[in-house]
Amino acid sequence: MPRLGYSYAFLDPGAKRELRRSLLKAVALPGYQVAYASREMPIARGWGTGGLQVTLALVGPEDVVKVMDQGDDASVNAANLRRFIARMAGVKTSTDTAQATLIQSRHRIPEEILGPEQILVLQVPYPEPLARLEPSFAKARELHADAEYGLVWLSLYEDLVRYRTATHGADYPVLVNGRYLMAPSPIPRWDNPKLHRAQHLTLFSAGREKRLYAVPPFTEVRPVEFEDVPFEVEDQRGWADWQTGVRHKFMTELPLPDGGSRHELSDRDYARKRAAHLPTQPTYFDEEGGFYQPGYLAPRTPPERLERLLQGEP
Amino acid sequence: MAYVAARGGEEAIQQAEALYRRLLGPLDAGLVRRLEQALPYLLDRLMGEGSLYAPELAALALAQTGGDLYEAVLLLRAYRTTLPRLGYAEPLEPEALLTVRRISAAFKDIPGGQVLGPTLDYSHRLLHFEPQEAPPARTGAEAQASLHLPFVADWHRQNGLLAPRPPDPTPGPEIPDLTREPLLFPAPRAQRLQALSRADTGGVLALGYANMRGYGAIHPTVNEVRLAYAEVRLRHPVTGAVFSAGRVRYSQAEVLTKFRPGPGGKPALELGFAATLGWNEVKLIAAAMLDAAMDQGEPHPAHTEEFVLSHTEPVEAGGFCIHYKLPHYVTFLSNLLAHQGQPEEVEDA
Amino acid sequence: MEAALEPPRLEHQQPVLRAMGLQKSYGRVTALAQVSLALYPGEVLGVVGESGSGKSTLLRLLNLQEPPDGGDYRLEVPGYAGQNLFALDRYQARQVRVRHIGIVYQNPHQGLRMQHTASGNVAERLILAGERRFGWLRRAAREALQASEFPLERLDEAPLRLSGGMQQRVQLAKALALQPTLLLLDEPTTGLDVSVQALVLDTLKRLQRERGISMLIVSHDLGVIRTLADRVLVMRAGRVVEQGLTDQVLEDPQHPYTQQLVHAKL
Repeated sequence: MPRLGYSYAFLDPGAKRELRRSLLKAVALPGYQVAYASREMPIARGWGTGGLQVTLALVGPEDVVKVMDQGDDASVNAANLRRFIARMAGVKTSTDTAQATLIQSRHRIPEEILGPEQILVLQVPYPEPLARLEPSFAKARELHADAEYGLVWLSLYEDLVRYRTATHGADYPVLVNGRYLMAPSPIPRWDNPKLHRAQHLTLFSAGREKRLYAVPPFTEVRPVEFEDVPFEVEDQRGWADWQTGVRHKFMTELPLPDGGSRHELSDRDYARKRAAHLPTQPTYFDEEGGFYQPGYLAPRTPPERLERLLQGEP
Repeated sequence: MAYVAARGGEEAIQQAEALYRRLLGPLDAGLVRRLEQALPYLLDRLMGEGSLYAPELAALALAQTGGDLYEAVLLLRAYRTTLPRLGYAEPLEPEALLTVRRISAAFKDIPGGQVLGPTLDYSHRLLHFEPQEAPPARTGAEAQASLHLPFVADWHRQNGLLAPRPPDPTPGPEIPDLTREPLLFPAPRAQRLQALSRADTGGVLALGYANMRGYGAIHPTVNEVRLAYAEVRLRHPVTGAVFSAGRVRYSQAEVLTKFRPGPGGKPALELGFAATLGWNEVKLIAAAMLDAAMDQGEPHPAHTEEFVLSHTEPVEAGGFCIHYKLPHYVTFLSNLLAHQGQPEEVEDA
Repeated sequence: MEAALEPPRLEHQQPVLRAMGLQKSYGRVTALAQVSLALYPGEVLGVVGESGSGKSTLLRLLNLQEPPDGGDYRLEVPGYAGQNLFALDRYQARQVRVRHIGIVYQNPHQGLRMQHTASGNVAERLILAGERRFGWLRRAAREALQASEFPLERLDEAPLRLSGGMQQRVQLAKALALQPTLLLLDEPTTGLDVSVQALVLDTLKRLQRERGISMLIVSHDLGVIRTLADRVLVMRAGRVVEQGLTDQVLEDPQHPYTQQLVHAKL
């Protein structure tokens, strides 16, 4: 039962109305950052208050809510948020991606393909993808208005010249619907392609910075890349989950006392199902590492080819 | 269908909170009352930053957090935001203020006189090792200072010494509500003053102090610092009559910048202003200086509205700082892998 | 008197740049008062005057970096011919600036990202114009730097580590990378050693000759003007006091201020 003394799902009706209007605007303008009031929440700022507000504005009694952090439902902050949502909205919770209608996540998109009835809410620390290059939000807004994103490609150019690779790891910027540059939140690059023409709605919300934005279903999402040096996901081709032997899913690295390390599936609920030989949904990357939308991820650029390009031989 | 609960994490966080509460000891109404009586200035700071005037709730927040100010401010704010906004108070005129302290550094004497009021400014900061009785009330003063004192800035204004304020870059409603809409830059001044009013005392002091020390183009004079009890006057929604909803401790400060060429070449002063719930002189003087500095448009960060207001918000700054305790292993690994495959020798960029 | 000093008409050609009645004040200081000028295709126009004469303000206005208080400014460039460029919005002004105007500043810090690579500084221009092929960016950056006689083995070094002369060559390569209609030079060789200055001037001259670029060069150094400019415009206190063919003005100055300048410098 919802707790007495607070509105259903904690937020008062005024706050909910504002959030829902902002969400509609965000869906109508894919990738555009909508400013919203971002009320104080009973958890610390920077701990998922943005995602939590969106979840609470959307949640209803019929929902099944999943919360994960770094891919893990048992992570302490995920547990705390899930407990709060259940307490305030009286909803069922689940760790199973397939069962959930509303998934709040920090830094990961699940490995199993989300369906059109599911909503993914990603927590965002830095909503402004230009902040690294232009610290003033006022100026960054002008750049967005003009779709002036040259600085971002220049930064990629500099990376390729100096380091022979793009050094931007997680939170790798994407261009949404050919219009707005967007920070996909600090998901690994592995998760970036999952946003492209996805069946599900993804909502992004930064509580501290008071911005929310959306990638609606079936929307074009392209990483920042050169036509002749395509975007690459993390290279974990040689890695396998130490318990199940599963490969070609995002792994985390567990250091061992002897100085070595072993690898573990980051999506812990998917790992649980694989370990118990339970049925799973189709995944974005198949058992050989092939992405479910053929052709979206181009082959990696071999070093010799990059050298030729560097010499100015297109 | 099985709903699997992830038990490990939940159990751990419940135990961790229980341990914290055990170390803090029991919390009862007596403790809350004693805190409220003993620590008014701490409560003032808390209520100012929490932007909620409720001494008993502030005392409860202090008790519940063991005096961890950032946690206590967050508690108040998170409660405050769920409350409905019932109305807007009438503007504070001098006659609605029961002023107990009002000093000006700009003049030897001012209309209404310099009223020192309660202050430690001229005391010897020595620890009292013996128990102290509260000094008896002084009686028989020859002339009672007036409780209703005019604003010193009004005198400058009457004499044409104040430069007109630059027009707001973003016109909006007369009283925007920072707690119900986001702060966008450039911000209307009303929002700027609201943000300063609930800003972190330490943060405002640090940036204000940077201005005073020379990272700034203003050479301010404190025109007025005032501590008062303010009558919160509301207009009755039905009868239209103005009535008092109660009194709050309130303080405000005015600073004047050096003379600048005003319109028509006549030298004029610019006024920086700050006000807050509770009595907090350090914060207000620094905030008023920042208010003046933010109009100068100098390139130093402490003059930049966006820099000052974004970084002195206690709930956001404190919360984000401690969020780095959360696990970051996915991002960390992703960033690590992004740097692999680089040539051995990396040039320092 | 100004009416008597009309520039020589190249009758078969329309000017590529035409500015009329430029006006700009900062507070009570008038930086430009009713300045008008024209620049013909392939022509080099020199602007001389001491500091405070308004020549740098003129350049900032022509580079669409800041708005004037009044005036009309036209460039014969695709899509914007016959339009007053001062009336463009921020987005359009940036388009014109990126694609059709190149600039070299006296202080390379103004024109370059000192921590980026030299090639990246040049490539930026093409990126802003929409080029998204890395190989082409590399090729174009090389070619532009080579044309500016920049040593290609230092292609990927940061301007911070380059000499003043090299920095000016990077600026020049960046300015010319997109074959602009107009090249603005703001004291491009001031502050360089005399020998380096001569080399950079040689490069400028050669590029101008080979490509027929329309250039406007601002300098207080009459030697630089004499070397490069076809025509010269003398400014004082925000006004044009004299203009004409370079040789004519420098050999036979009419205005007392020009006479003073010529005698002081030569």
